[in-house]
Amino acid sequence: MLEIKNLHVAVEGKEILSGINLTVNAGEVHAVMGPNGSGKSTLSHVLAGKEGYEVTKGSILFKEKSLLDLEPEERAGEGVFLAFQYPIEIAGVNNVYMLKAALNGIRAYRGEPELSSVQFLKMVKDKVKAVGLDEGLLNRQVNSGFSGGEKKKNEIFQLSVLEPTLAVLDETDSGLDIDALKAVADGVNKLRIATRAFIVVTHYQRLLDHIVPDFVHVLSQGKIVRTGDKELALTLEERGYDWLAEENLV
Amino acid sequence: MTDVLSELLPPSESRHSLSEPDWLHEKRQEAGQAVKELGFPNSGIETWKYTSLHRLKKVDFRPAEIADSTADTTVMPKLEIDNSKEKTVIFINGFFREDLGTYKNTVAGIKIEPLYNNSNMLEKNQEFISSYSNDAFAALNLAGFSDGISIEVDDNALISETIRLVFIGEHRDPLLRNIKNIIQLGQNAQLRLIEEYRSGVSDFGLTNVSTNIVLQEGARLNHHRLQNEAISSSQIAKIVASVEANASYNSDSIVLGGQLTRLEIDVALTGERATCRLNGLFSGSGEQHIDHHTTVRHQVGDTHSEELYRGILDDKSRGVFNGKVVVEKDAQKITAKQASNNLLLSRTAEIDTKPELQIYADDVKCAHGATIGQLDSAALFYLRSRGISEQKARALLIFAFAEEIINTIPVDNLRSNLERRFIGHNQMSELKSEAC
Repeated sequence: MLEIKNLHVAVEGKEILSGINLTVNAGEVHAVMGPNGSGKSTLSHVLAGKEGYEVTKGSILFKEKSLLDLEPEERAGEGVFLAFQYPIEIAGVNNVYMLKAALNGIRAYRGEPELSSVQFLKMVKDKVKAVGLDEGLLNRQVNSGFSGGEKKKNEIFQLSVLEPTLAVLDETDSGLDIDALKAVADGVNKLRIATRAFIVVTHYQRLLDHIVPDFVHVLSQGKIVRTGDKELALTLEERGYDWLAEENLV
Repeated sequence: MTDVLSELLPPSESRHSLSEPDWLHEKRQEAGQAVKELGFPNSGIETWKYTSLHRLKKVDFRPAEIADSTADTTVMPKLEIDNSKEKTVIFINGFFREDLGTYKNTVAGIKIEPLYNNSNMLEKNQEFISSYSNDAFAALNLAGFSDGISIEVDDNALISETIRLVFIGEHRDPLLRNIKNIIQLGQNAQLRLIEEYRSGVSDFGLTNVSTNIVLQEGARLNHHRLQNEAISSSQIAKIVASVEANASYNSDSIVLGGQLTRLEIDVALTGERATCRLNGLFSGSGEQHIDHHTTVRHQVGDTHSEELYRGILDDKSRGVFNGKVVVEKDAQKITAKQASNNLLLSRTAEIDTKPELQIYADDVKCAHGATIGQLDSAALFYLRSRGISEQKARALLIFAFAEEIINTIPVDNLRSNLERRFIGHNQMSELKSEAC
């Protein structure tokens, strides 16, 4: 589904990613771990198409299309979704309205008819319960005045409505207490299906207790330095990242 | 070329009625003389520092005549009127067209007439009509006004129907339309008034309008002013309002159209507990120029004012906001709030915004703030990453910026019109009502 080959990315002339190779198939959950500054968020942003990143080498194929040639909204149309580390507060834009515009934007991209308001609202009401988001937040302005947990739940709720085939969760655990973390992870687990892949970007292993990955990749200085299964995450939890860096030097 | 403002004066024989009172005739002559002496305001005058009239000077205007009021109505802009809630009063090229409006003088408590035929109103307002101080366009207005509206609301009359004044400009020739309006609400009277300016797409005219508003004790006027003329028309307008004790003046100025629009609002709060709320929303593109100069005069204590202006400027458009607040000596316990927020959508757009406080009392609460920003790129990316096109994402964010003002407009028709204008369709209101 996703094939990243020899990806090099620079920000303002400074190389952040230095040759990433990663293949993700439908139904898989890949964890990308790494210390601060290793390039985890850069990878998430480049997948979603954020401006300010210069791809100097390499390619990203998503369902055989070059993702790098697409605008952010086209990537969403193709089925890519990024759950933000810091969801943006947008004063004056209603949460449900934004989501309806998003879903209909994606449907239009795919040549599907728009959903009517009635159809849309019925679907939304079912899904908001499933992710445990307070229904009252639906009609609030996007993320405005939401707690940290509510913001992250709102991201997962959007994921559930937009039904992407590739969901990238960028440090979804950051700033969450353990109850909120469990609730968000439960929401994600309900959305794991055979046709959907996840890339879970995280600094800490604790999220992976709840969203159990098929593969764990360790990112360091812009490269994937180790790939393993969920046991690798536990080792990292025990020993930190330094031993890997040292091992690589040897 | 109209290098000299006095070239815009009408020839004195072209008055459409000879029944004009002598005093008015004399005042017009005087004002004409003043126009000759004052000339076009230039950037050396502080209040005209940021607004250049050079484009107006290039146009060969001629004063509108009564014959221009019969312009072809089939090419007029389409007006979306809700006849069940609104009564219309229509002017064409500065002349009253009784036949086109739906308002008839049968509503109890209110009388609406063309000003020029109302010798009683002219007489009663001699002082206002005759004054222009050093304002060249006010003098031009006095010297040349063709007509305008006179609205009188009786004491204690609560008018439930919205009155919608529509001033339409439409002519092949670039016309100068001088309009003078007088609006008076008696004690505890209430009125909702829409004052709308429209013009045909091929109109190159200049509307010069002067409006006097008097709100007696306890009266309340909600005044929604909409400048929606074609991009080729221009307008210079002045509103002078006097608000007595316990009365309130609520004004919205929405400016979307027009090549050059200049609106001066001068409100005097003359009695205790008098209040005014001045809101504005302007949206410019191309080379539009939109200038608001407001003055609020707190003449006595315990008076209150609030101002909120939002500007959205794209391309090479330019906005000007100057908000002056004057608190007279001994006018204690007053509050005055003012905010000017501006969104620049292009590198070549410009806003000049300036608060101007003159406070001669010590127990007052005055707050003012001005912001200038761009569309939030993080918000734009967030929306696009969800599948919303760039164009629509921009529209959503711009609408969000404008919405606070739009929401204060209690006229459904006008509000949904503005929503459409900003968002492209009116799913917004549809969804809002269903989702709640």
